[in-house]
Amino acid sequence: MNTVVCMKQVPDTETLIKINPEGTGIVTEGIKWVMCPYDEYAVEEALQQKEKFKAGKVTIVSLGPDRAIEAIRTGLAMGADTAVHINDAAFYEKADPYATAAALAAAVKDLEYDAIFCGKQAIDDDSGQVPAILGELLGLPVVTLVVKLEVSEDKTKAVATREVEGGHAVVEVSLPAIFSAQKGLNEPRYASLPGIMKAKKKPVDVKTVSDLGVSVEPMTAIKEMSLPPARQAGKILEGEDAVEKAKALAKALHEEAKLI
Amino acid sequence: MASFILDERDQRFILNELLEVGKLCEHPTYADFSEDMFNMILEEAQKFATEEIFPTLTDSDKEGCSLEDGQVHVPKSFHRCYKLYCEGGWNAMSHPPEVGGQGLPIVISTAARDWFMHNFAFTSYPGLTEGAAHLIEVFGTEEQKKKYLPKMMTGEWGGTMALTEPNAGSDVGNLSTKAIRQPDGTFKLQGTKIFITAGDHDLVENIIHPVLARIEGDPPGTKGISLFIVPKYIVNDDGTLGRRNDYEIAKIEEKMGIHGSATCLINFGDNNECYAELLGEEKQGMKIMFQMMNEARIGVGMQGLTSASIAYMHALQYAKERLQGSSIEHFKDPTAPRTPIINHPDVRRMLLWMKSYVEAMRALMYFAAYCVDKERITNAEVEREKWHGFLEVLTPICKAFCTDIGFRVCETAIQVYGGYGYCSDYPMEQFLRDEKIASIYEGTNGIQALDLVGRKLGLNKGAYFMGLIGEMNSVVDRYKDNPHLKDLAHDVQAGINTLADVSMFFATSAKSGKFLIPISNAYPFLMMMGNVVSAWLLLWEAGIATEKLDTICSGKGIDPSDHAALSGLVKENKDAAFYSGKLASARYFIKNVLPEVDATAKAIKSEDLTVMEIAEESFAV
Repeated sequence: MNTVVCMKQVPDTETLIKINPEGTGIVTEGIKWVMCPYDEYAVEEALQQKEKFKAGKVTIVSLGPDRAIEAIRTGLAMGADTAVHINDAAFYEKADPYATAAALAAAVKDLEYDAIFCGKQAIDDDSGQVPAILGELLGLPVVTLVVKLEVSEDKTKAVATREVEGGHAVVEVSLPAIFSAQKGLNEPRYASLPGIMKAKKKPVDVKTVSDLGVSVEPMTAIKEMSLPPARQAGKILEGEDAVEKAKALAKALHEEAKLI
Repeated sequence: MASFILDERDQRFILNELLEVGKLCEHPTYADFSEDMFNMILEEAQKFATEEIFPTLTDSDKEGCSLEDGQVHVPKSFHRCYKLYCEGGWNAMSHPPEVGGQGLPIVISTAARDWFMHNFAFTSYPGLTEGAAHLIEVFGTEEQKKKYLPKMMTGEWGGTMALTEPNAGSDVGNLSTKAIRQPDGTFKLQGTKIFITAGDHDLVENIIHPVLARIEGDPPGTKGISLFIVPKYIVNDDGTLGRRNDYEIAKIEEKMGIHGSATCLINFGDNNECYAELLGEEKQGMKIMFQMMNEARIGVGMQGLTSASIAYMHALQYAKERLQGSSIEHFKDPTAPRTPIINHPDVRRMLLWMKSYVEAMRALMYFAAYCVDKERITNAEVEREKWHGFLEVLTPICKAFCTDIGFRVCETAIQVYGGYGYCSDYPMEQFLRDEKIASIYEGTNGIQALDLVGRKLGLNKGAYFMGLIGEMNSVVDRYKDNPHLKDLAHDVQAGINTLADVSMFFATSAKSGKFLIPISNAYPFLMMMGNVVSAWLLLWEAGIATEKLDTICSGKGIDPSDHAALSGLVKENKDAAFYSGKLASARYFIKNVLPEVDATAKAIKSEDLTVMEIAEESFAV
């Protein structure tokens, strides 16, 4: 089974985020960059499908500046076969979900695939729109928040279990299709030492957006970014005994927090 | 997930900026690698250590190992961890690809181990296998290599190192396990071995024990010792497993620490059916073991470093978060806000003491590993001899200095935690318990000191030791005119001179028949040398850090001697903070710790031999 994985390199989840002086983005200096954790599920699923069918190729496609090659190599070290690196810093800087999806679509359209896997969202901007827009641009069905996937023997359809509010929904979809991976889909493997060594020799096709013939402009732009307000100090309720304290708590919840 | 195992920035600094390990790839042996790849390997090591190895530390300590019906069971959590460790290829990092290893430079596998070895109970299993496999790789016949190596390399089989007996610990030559020659050229073993790490466990289907024994009729002492391969299950010619060999795990020891590591007492040949194959030549057992000694001792030194590193990183984090007392400026004001304890002078002293030692030990361990690589890839005889010499002289320092200082760092880290450090709700006391063994096994630290003073100082007519002195001097020369570092360089030079002077004093004492002076002062000398070596490495690190800091400053238009501007930069810029911290480590250590060598030199030169003169009866009545 041939698959494509759309992958984004994001700041490590433990990064202490600082907003840049212009207020339009984060300070990227000194950040540690990693593969988006949801994209790890996508890579793992692609590898497992390939292993199940004992044939096929996994191609990673990523839009990002020079540094993105590190995350691409991680995917190759996990076991992916080839990669397309859309390395275009100027485009990437301004790219919104639409522009990102347009670039990915242009890179994907010439590849052979039975399925495209994405993470459900990138953990940096959290937009969660790329898989859906990509589906629109490529004219493919999209199944989001997938936690289980079974592909038919003849690779013409798949049954996917999606996470929905309070439960699960099982959908059948014809292939090729796009699947966005949710936590629980699988347990991503670690890159092994032999995998890391092989990764260096695997082909990475580097392209700019103009190489791909993409001329779209982003439809949205970030006007302002701000950190969440600092957490307020906790409050210790006064009271002689448990009854008194419970009364004070009920009062605070009603009058101050306005929760009850 | 935060792990607080080690400062990854420090690791990268020593590898890429101090040792410039990327240059190793210019040599054909390592041409398949690159600096990027090394970084990627260490990223993955960090991830694996943080997500899989560290989480098993506490539960394996509480659960321990058990012996049921002659079979040892390791802590449950080790099974998943071991499987993933082997799948990742971490168990055979530096073995050559021809035998199924990954062929990494030793300095890179050492750096990867820096992430793993804080959980030494776990890493002892694959670690012992590596050591045993290396023996077979170097000394085994083609048949033995074919029979044993592939499955040891994949981690399907384990290995040990069975040397110690009840009456043969430091005195290996006194061993009494005997090997009885069989008509088919194999042997039957009889005897008891104790303290055998990973002596039995349920992580693997077969265990290969290299065992030291004396063939019947061979002379007493170390000269009569041979080395044997004793498999748990005898391996058939077709590679399948045959009968269970005749040895029994009589018990596992109850220990102070590393509870997840099975320390076994093994009785070989109770039914006179313990199959054994000779490994290497007869009566060459000790020589073979000695060839592996440097490697194993450096491995144990890593335990000192990694325990110190994780203890320091935890103490630092705790000191930043724990509020207690008011800051020194407001100490008389009971209403002043409580301050993190990192603001208290005595806590800062402990933290900086630990930081400087941890960084010195990391540089030392990586440098020693780098020497192994350089020796391996250097063709020119003189050059190769130089690296070999550094390694010979530094090995006892790596082992003894790092394990004893490692213990003291763990102790100091507990002190930073206060009462909580003493409680098992926190991991600090476990770090200390687990580390303690490192000063004892693989040759006690007392033995290491004798190795240094009795063998290594005079090795190659003293040229190895003088070679190291020369290397240290050359670093001092590089920085003796640097305005930021010249006073430190001056102090380090004085330390090196004192060290060389005391070594000469030992030589003169020995020549005039006063052997007891060097022998009874071997340990103080080793620790003194460790401090001089640390000062050398920290000066070297500070030299590079100064250059880098100057570059950052000039890039931002800041004058590096403008303290206010520099502290502003350090608050904002992580690299500047790091390099500035390097300078602080060097300055603190050289000004506050290095002077201890003068006291040691003075004590040694007093020629006081009370330790030998006091009557046994007078130690206590």
